[in-house]
Amino acid sequence: MSAANHQTGLSAPTDLDPEIAAGTWVIIPVYNEATVISDVIGSIRTVFPNVVAIDDGSTDGSWDQVRRSASHPLRHLVNRGQGAALQTGTDYALRQGAARIAHFDADGQHRLEDLCRMVEVVASGECDIALGNRFAGDVSQVPPARRVLLRAAVLFHRIASGIELHDVHNGLRVLSRRAAERMEITADRMAHASEIIDLVARSGLPVQEIPVTIRYSEYSRAKGQRWTGGFRIMFHYLIARILG
Amino acid sequence: MSPFQIVLLVVLGGMVAFIVQAVVRGRLGRPAGAIWLIVLGVGIIASIDPNSTTALARRLGISRGTDLILYVLVLAVLQGFLIFYLRLRRVRRELTILVRRLAILEAPSNRPSDAPAPDAATGRSEA
Repeated sequence: MSAANHQTGLSAPTDLDPEIAAGTWVIIPVYNEATVISDVIGSIRTVFPNVVAIDDGSTDGSWDQVRRSASHPLRHLVNRGQGAALQTGTDYALRQGAARIAHFDADGQHRLEDLCRMVEVVASGECDIALGNRFAGDVSQVPPARRVLLRAAVLFHRIASGIELHDVHNGLRVLSRRAAERMEITADRMAHASEIIDLVARSGLPVQEIPVTIRYSEYSRAKGQRWTGGFRIMFHYLIARILG
Repeated sequence: MSPFQIVLLVVLGGMVAFIVQAVVRGRLGRPAGAIWLIVLGVGIIASIDPNSTTALARRLGISRGTDLILYVLVLAVLQGFLIFYLRLRRVRRELTILVRRLAILEAPSNRPSDAPAPDAATGRSEA
């Protein structure tokens, strides 16, 4: 049996232990996602009661949607970027006693069943950090240009962070409380994904990559990173590494 | 002395007065004030006797005084950019800390964490 959302296509098996689901706080940074965010949050809440959605200074009315649909709506009065929003949500969830933290993108490109599997892996104690890996399964949905860009990012991180991962810019992550407490994201903008990889490498905690499927809709493609964005991320990441 | 030299000297003299006043009133530290006065002093000397920059340039192995001034300006501008970038970066970080803290302070954390899940089909809660 599965809970499905017709608009976003999000679906998930509902056999996840309710106690594990309740202990997992799903963090969703939101920036100008008014058209999809209610559906995304609504679908997640069919399994996970604790959804912390952080409106990151949206200008399209996303806050109204977040306030109505999230169990824990938070708001950045000024846009500070996805990294800052993730850290705000994490700090909040840890204060509320979260046992696990999950990161989930607001544009509906992640699948709830993937999140559930990742949560199960972390909850079972197999690892402290579960990272989504879109290249472990069917990659036909990944647009060729995006594939090249992401492969380049993987190579870059293999050199810069010394960690051997296969999908370093996947926004679907699950962290144990211990792992979340050890990580402090300081990169405001999109360079946070690279910073998280560094933090994962430095944490010394067991990591697992879990095969996931990313749904590339017209909407998520329009919101995704471009080549120029990739170079900007690399620049900010290197500056942060040099200047601390 | 050309009119331009006179204008330059007036501007540089005004800046010297401003720096001295800032140091006296404690708005600028003495080391920073001293550096500014040295830079302005060099500017005043170069304005009164432009050939002095050429003499200095030749001592440093550069043929023309204008080239020396250009090189120094390029270095000064680069340093200025770096200082501004670092300050901007710090201010951005401080802003992020404030915005994040405010978001948590204003969170409706008294709301029950196990609020009823929204309808699966519409994705909307009744609240």
